[in-house]
Amino acid sequence: MSTQLLVVDDLHTTFRTAAGLVAAVGGVSFDLATNETVGIVGESGSGKTVLARTIMGLQPRSNVEVRGSVLLDGHQVVGASEREMRERWATDVSMVFQDPMTSLNPVMRIGRQIDETLRVRLGMDKRAARARAIELLAMVGMPSAEHRYRAYPTQLSGGMRQRVVIATALACSPKLLIADEPTTGLDVTIQAQILNLLDDLKEQLHMSVILITHDLGVVATRTSRIIVMYAGRIVEMGATRDVFFRHRMPYTRALLESSPKVSNPSHTRLRVIPGRPPNLSTLTSGCAFAPRCSSASERCHQERPSLEPAEEPGHVFACWHPLAATELHEAPR
Amino acid sequence: MTDAASPLLSVRNLTVTFGSGAHSVSAVAGISFEIAEGETLGLVGESGCGKSTTGKALMKIVAPSSGTIELDGVDITRLRGRALRNARTRMQMIFQDPISSLNPRRRVRDIVAEPLDAWKSATGSARETIVRTLLNEVGIDPDVYGARYPREFSGGQCQRISIARSLAMRPKLLICDEVVSALDVSVQAQILNLLEDLKAEYGLTLLFIAHDLAVVKNVSDRVAVMYLGKICEIGPSDVLYEAPAHPYTKFLLGAALEADPDVTVRGEVLQGEPPSPLDPPSGCRFRTRCPFATDLCASDEPALREVAPGHHVACHFPLTTLGSSPSPSPILG
Repeated sequence: MSTQLLVVDDLHTTFRTAAGLVAAVGGVSFDLATNETVGIVGESGSGKTVLARTIMGLQPRSNVEVRGSVLLDGHQVVGASEREMRERWATDVSMVFQDPMTSLNPVMRIGRQIDETLRVRLGMDKRAARARAIELLAMVGMPSAEHRYRAYPTQLSGGMRQRVVIATALACSPKLLIADEPTTGLDVTIQAQILNLLDDLKEQLHMSVILITHDLGVVATRTSRIIVMYAGRIVEMGATRDVFFRHRMPYTRALLESSPKVSNPSHTRLRVIPGRPPNLSTLTSGCAFAPRCSSASERCHQERPSLEPAEEPGHVFACWHPLAATELHEAPR
Repeated sequence: MTDAASPLLSVRNLTVTFGSGAHSVSAVAGISFEIAEGETLGLVGESGCGKSTTGKALMKIVAPSSGTIELDGVDITRLRGRALRNARTRMQMIFQDPISSLNPRRRVRDIVAEPLDAWKSATGSARETIVRTLLNEVGIDPDVYGARYPREFSGGQCQRISIARSLAMRPKLLICDEVVSALDVSVQAQILNLLEDLKAEYGLTLLFIAHDLAVVKNVSDRVAVMYLGKICEIGPSDVLYEAPAHPYTKFLLGAALEADPDVTVRGEVLQGEPPSPLDPPSGCRFRTRCPFATDLCASDEPALREVAPGHHVACHFPLTTLGSSPSPSPILG
């Protein structure tokens, strides 16, 4: 296990709110190897973004309780002060957020925003930082990088802004890149460009990537493993193909079957699950998916299932009544 | 489904121009299409292609600059005052953001009754009956939720309420503008199935505007693809998705991510971004990004022409049915 870049162990992130304690992340464990891409999928409120921010050490200090352990390259993130984390951001771990406009300073030229990182973190002088920033802009596919160095974020399209954000995140060659819905606001053709870019850069810079999305299409072909989250917990995790074709947890199946597919004929009836994702402040002791699950029993409402191994190596699921292992969903090849 | 003899909606050379003089933008630059009664036409394209403006122009929320819009044989672009108000009861529009399209200070049952109140078409118990029926129809229990306010509902539930309201006047044409793009997949599937059910029950004709190709295919009988204010291809959904004739359609479909690890899309990705509609390219508007563009594409604008029954494409070099390479010689008018 020495090659694991990231080891998350029994991580809890709890918010103290007026409505009581909200366990946004309720006991998550997984690890990530060097140069691996893992996808985290789930609907809104499943805790995927809070998990990412906790791994980044970006949670606010007040009214948040973080328990458990996040070992990033051998160093503990949980409990680290902001001063300590400052030493690790950009060089060890970087994050790309969903909305590029809110992650960029609107009154600062984009070049400045990139070389700020270089000057502060790597101690480059102005001239060297500028040259490197232009190099980075070119690397992320910004046309006429030298000219765009002086552009303001509002002068760029959404796709170009996201390229700037990626360039900033990669400025100090981080070991881990967390991309939280990096393409959600973008058009499909631009989305494909950005995802391909992330793929290429991952190989080029030998990074590990956590790709967070609600869209199963984004993770289907670009990850080696997938983590499915529901109500702050991992409900299924395994190799990408196992999660798609040999999933055991009914929620995973529901997620897969409720998304329309381009390959289906039009007017294909979608199989839907009733209800909506649960309110995290009113979780019961049972399985959080039980109220929406057709095979839920009394036990499901009372007792929370823990992650159990499936037949395939590395494939785990949390369910008292898993889909039969024979019920394979192998695609006809 | 495409009964050309009596389309419910017939749009001819519709243009919508914002601003004037050198700063004018033709968001919709002369499009024509028909929708037969009971049919669903999907309208896809990337942001800025004019698909939402088309929807708004049909509702006369924005004023068409030229062209005709015939609803049931009556050109609504010429209607004013009372006649226009009358025509508007036969068409309704549902918007992307379900929460901001509902008045936060009104109770759900009053929101749904708003069209009835505006038209004074039902009062007292008749009004209540209609509201209860509609809310039941969309899966909102009127006894439990009728007296509540929009803030107490999730996005999916608000979208259900918007749908109920849009059906109050029993419209014939429903324009859905990105109605599921803000929703989680499991909720999205519920709303898509609901729309299909209501369409059958109320005999609705749908214009379904969305950027998500899988969603559009799922609900549409025919699909129109827009690029920079023009329709570049229109045809039966299964045919258009199977064998796109316009290079842009092919790239758009190629960029769509399928939730299937066996579908690898890596390969041809459309480069660049759409040009500014302030200064659209001469000739074919897609030529600046099209790998097959020739001098002809720069000089002559291709008209929509039929390549197969009901399948029209605006391209000098439409792709062959194999969908891989352009046909050797241009189809000349």
